[in-house]
Amino acid sequence: MKMRLLTLLAALILSACGGGGGSANSTGTSPDNQSSSSTTPSENNNNENSDTDTQSNDELDTQDQSATNDQGSAEDISTSPVVDIRVPSEVVRKGSVITIDSVVRGSTEGLTYTWTQTSGPAVTLSGANSASLTITLPSASSINKDSYTFSLTVTDSTGTSTYTETTLESVNAMSELQASALMQQATLGATYSEIQAASGLSEEEWLNQQIALDPTLHTPLLENYPDRDNPNHINRIDAWWKASLNAPDQLRQRVAFALSEIFVISDANTSLRGEPEGMVAYYDMLLKHAFGNFRTLLESVTLSPAMGVYLSHLGNEKANVERNIRPDENYAREVMQLFTIGLNALNLDGTLKLDTDGKSIATYSQKEVAGFAKVFTGWTFAYSARWDRPSRNYTLPMHAFSAYHSMEPKELLNGEVIPAETGPHESMQLALDNLFSHSNVAPFISKQLIQRLVKSNPTPAYVARVATVFNDNGLGIRGDLGAVVKAILLDEEARKFSQVQLHSGKIKEPILTKVHLWRVLNARSELNRYYTWNLSTTYGQGPLLSPSVFNFFRPDHTPNELQTLELIAPELQIATDSNMVATINGHYGDLVWRMAERKTTLNPNTVYMFAQDDIAMLANNGLQSLLDYYDLVYFAGTMTDITRTALVDLDSYFVNKDEAQRVAQLLYMISLSPDFNYQN
Amino acid sequence: MSYRNEQSRRAFLSLCLKGGCSVAALTSLQLQAISGSLSSQPINDYKALVCIFLHGGSDSLNMLVPLTGEHRTHYEQSRQNLVVTDAQALNTRTIYEGGVGLHPSMTSLSSIFDAGNLGFVGGVGTLITPTTLSEYQNKTVPLPNHLFSHNDQQATWMHGQEKVSLNTGWGARMLERLNQHSSFTSNISLAGANPWQAGIETTPYALNKSGIMKINALTGYQPQVDHVKSIMDRLLSAKTTPLQDAYASRLANSVNNVQNMNTLLEQAPILTTQFSDNSLSEQLAAVAKSLSISGQTGNKRQIFFVSLGGFDTHDDQAVRQPALLSTLATALTEFNNALTELSLQNSVTTFTMSDFGRTLSSNGDGTDHGWASNQLIMGGAVNGQDLHGAMLSQQVGNSIDVGGGRLIPQYSNEQYFAPIAKWFGLNDTEISDIFPNLGNFDATTLNLFK
Repeated sequence: MKMRLLTLLAALILSACGGGGGSANSTGTSPDNQSSSSTTPSENNNNENSDTDTQSNDELDTQDQSATNDQGSAEDISTSPVVDIRVPSEVVRKGSVITIDSVVRGSTEGLTYTWTQTSGPAVTLSGANSASLTITLPSASSINKDSYTFSLTVTDSTGTSTYTETTLESVNAMSELQASALMQQATLGATYSEIQAASGLSEEEWLNQQIALDPTLHTPLLENYPDRDNPNHINRIDAWWKASLNAPDQLRQRVAFALSEIFVISDANTSLRGEPEGMVAYYDMLLKHAFGNFRTLLESVTLSPAMGVYLSHLGNEKANVERNIRPDENYAREVMQLFTIGLNALNLDGTLKLDTDGKSIATYSQKEVAGFAKVFTGWTFAYSARWDRPSRNYTLPMHAFSAYHSMEPKELLNGEVIPAETGPHESMQLALDNLFSHSNVAPFISKQLIQRLVKSNPTPAYVARVATVFNDNGLGIRGDLGAVVKAILLDEEARKFSQVQLHSGKIKEPILTKVHLWRVLNARSELNRYYTWNLSTTYGQGPLLSPSVFNFFRPDHTPNELQTLELIAPELQIATDSNMVATINGHYGDLVWRMAERKTTLNPNTVYMFAQDDIAMLANNGLQSLLDYYDLVYFAGTMTDITRTALVDLDSYFVNKDEAQRVAQLLYMISLSPDFNYQN
Repeated sequence: MSYRNEQSRRAFLSLCLKGGCSVAALTSLQLQAISGSLSSQPINDYKALVCIFLHGGSDSLNMLVPLTGEHRTHYEQSRQNLVVTDAQALNTRTIYEGGVGLHPSMTSLSSIFDAGNLGFVGGVGTLITPTTLSEYQNKTVPLPNHLFSHNDQQATWMHGQEKVSLNTGWGARMLERLNQHSSFTSNISLAGANPWQAGIETTPYALNKSGIMKINALTGYQPQVDHVKSIMDRLLSAKTTPLQDAYASRLANSVNNVQNMNTLLEQAPILTTQFSDNSLSEQLAAVAKSLSISGQTGNKRQIFFVSLGGFDTHDDQAVRQPALLSTLATALTEFNNALTELSLQNSVTTFTMSDFGRTLSSNGDGTDHGWASNQLIMGGAVNGQDLHGAMLSQQVGNSIDVGGGRLIPQYSNEQYFAPIAKWFGLNDTEISDIFPNLGNFDATTLNLFK
């Protein structure tokens, strides 16, 4: 037990100090050697070697005397070879070929070498009886790192030998295809250069890099409408485009977009249409908290003035018997139904809890709605001097007027009651704590985030694994969204190393197919304006443009075609005839009509696609090379043979036209193809 | 174009109208010949239903208000600053104590009402069985799931039943029962996917409210169009995973249906009736346009779905509700004019549904999610100029108030739907089949049709 602990400790120290390639490390591995040689008998020479091994370690590492001395010291004075092992790096990449060198002090004359593998996935040892061992590490078969131990026995001409071990870990090095697949889930649509930059990193390294990036906020990108002193609704859409297309923190932008479809506000046909700063401030709030704590996010959402206006708890006041009014229940109801716990009690894996009659169990009743309605009274715009007709600051969290806050007892979930005479701030804190502590939150939010990022039909086990991280990130912290996002994206069901999954993936959101195409094709206008006026009517959706707080589609939507299979495909709820045709028309306009290379003059206001790289590739390398590139960038390697053949046949008609038109037609057909519209 | 026999001709036409081939090749005479060829039941007349869904939960108890006496006093006590003044007295055939006043924003409907082509249904809502206050409180009767929740109650109204695993909407169920769903044009939505029109074999065709929708890639030089279309068809017919297949078949159908609909709409007459530019009027204008070519589509029965949002008036109701009701009344009036112009007034019935009614009590400047509601039904076949059902007493804390002025419906929505289904052509057995809770109520009590 103690030896095991030492081993772990040493491994931790090692990994903490690791990183520099080529450093000798057998001094650091000596405790490992000790434990391995005593607990894992090697095939040969084990009996003879244990003592000399101890000896060699003693000489190499005087600090480990205590750990090594109890193996006996009868041969302390022998002159066995002094051997060290040099690995290229403590962390190496799966699939790479590495060479491990022996380093012998003094003469190597007459020495014989025996390398063996004592732990880790089986590898073929090349040069097992030479001074250097060469091994080809297996390529990635899981998201987890592989750990290996190799031992070296060096015997001199007198028959005296030294036994040494070294441990190394191999982590994934994403191929371009693997990077592209991850980035379909974790970005708004990766460009080729982004895929290249991510390849070679492990999934986790890339995620950590992304999470560490500063948020690209949208407020600094919000410009005034031309010749006006203020931004217009279209300017907040413009800001969203600029960030979505150019921000390096793509994971954060993608997660914030997902959050905007859970914590919905909208300026489609609402009074928020006139408040672009408030809308952008709300989106920025989602960006800031995307990897923060859910509890903090929930409070920021609750106190957002844009949300306050959207779900009418801003200006909500306590009951007034004389005027026969009671608190507005809008936010109280939706914060439970949509933002935290949902309607029905859930198991950790997101399945319904059932009562003894096999029926679902409602999470709340009108009693709790009324209780939470009292909680969300007394709040209005920040720094307003008055409650009635307040000054309207849409960018700061709401402030409370205690005089308008209900001081009655407030019934919360699970029988908790906020006592009478509790003020607005404390009530809000207690109520949000009450919601946050509910066991539904983890599966309810985790499953929806999985559906937004990875797949429509996660297995209950996947939901449970992510929900477990939601409940405890491993450090005892609940609601760590960064940890949740990593758990979602690093899960086997997202990365799919081993099993074939029957119902993986999801239909892509139409607006995200557009963003992907625009990012890859470097869409821009001369005046740097992205005035996309008709997103909702063209794509059935757009940022913060939902027709109601229930989002564009419901997370449990089962389309007609999938009812017998009982499969969910939320995105198909907006795949109506008119939306689908409008979407492919939108793509056609972008790709065929507004490809810059097909124009002689460019309108400074119009967004054009720039396909010069594609055109050059087609001209110089031919169609198959171009399709290989498209397979990587747009399909993450899932382009079917049918699609590839169809694209070749499509091109046969246009083969005598200029390359720009050929590229345009190919891209259009890709944009509507089933495999491009499916995120595997 | 010749056909060896009637069967293959019908199969071909059916295929065309399902989107499997192009009707562009057919002449208008041939299109007209489709009429009557698809129904397998002896239905000879033409009827259409138009559902107007008022999204968000219309405060319809504030659309029809008491005018005098004790009921008025209770109403004013309940409603406070949301009281409707200047309501227009309706000469309902049934006399209600306190009278029935129509919201002043809807007075444009009064001529249709007085002509007997518009009626109301009062006190209706989702119920599984008749329910009293004590039964509600003691939970001794089954209650609709997730009362007061928007999307759940919307679904319950549109499904015409509680949630079941393979759920369908009662609009689609009627079409399928009557075997009138073979053409995609039988089931048209101007407001996207919705539960009312989702069936086992039919889903709504989502018509763009502007009507004709060109497909950019399939417009222009015909050899290129043909080539692009052939590649598109190949891509969209490949079988892969269920989700991809669902996407692909939808897009393939959408492209074909839009093209076929364009061909039909190009023959539509220009209506002289003017429609306003609000969303509901635009949708109903598109319905009117579709109705004008109903002869060419061969349908004997059609259902249409339109919607108007914004009824979730938690705040600013005193401003928002009049605007919403005014939009509704304007659109209905225009649609009625168009039906008159098309001589389809007796063949088309238009009716409303909504998530729920709203609380009688106010939250200061708005109302919250309630239960019982009033609905509206219009058409030449309608037993109009009346309020059917109940004029509920609007007193907070009365014998049907489950709290805050959420009133228990006195008529189930299935009682409201049953006469509509009967008018549409379903027999009593079929009606009991498609409305599973109807047996708990008297199905004949609401005489909504002449």
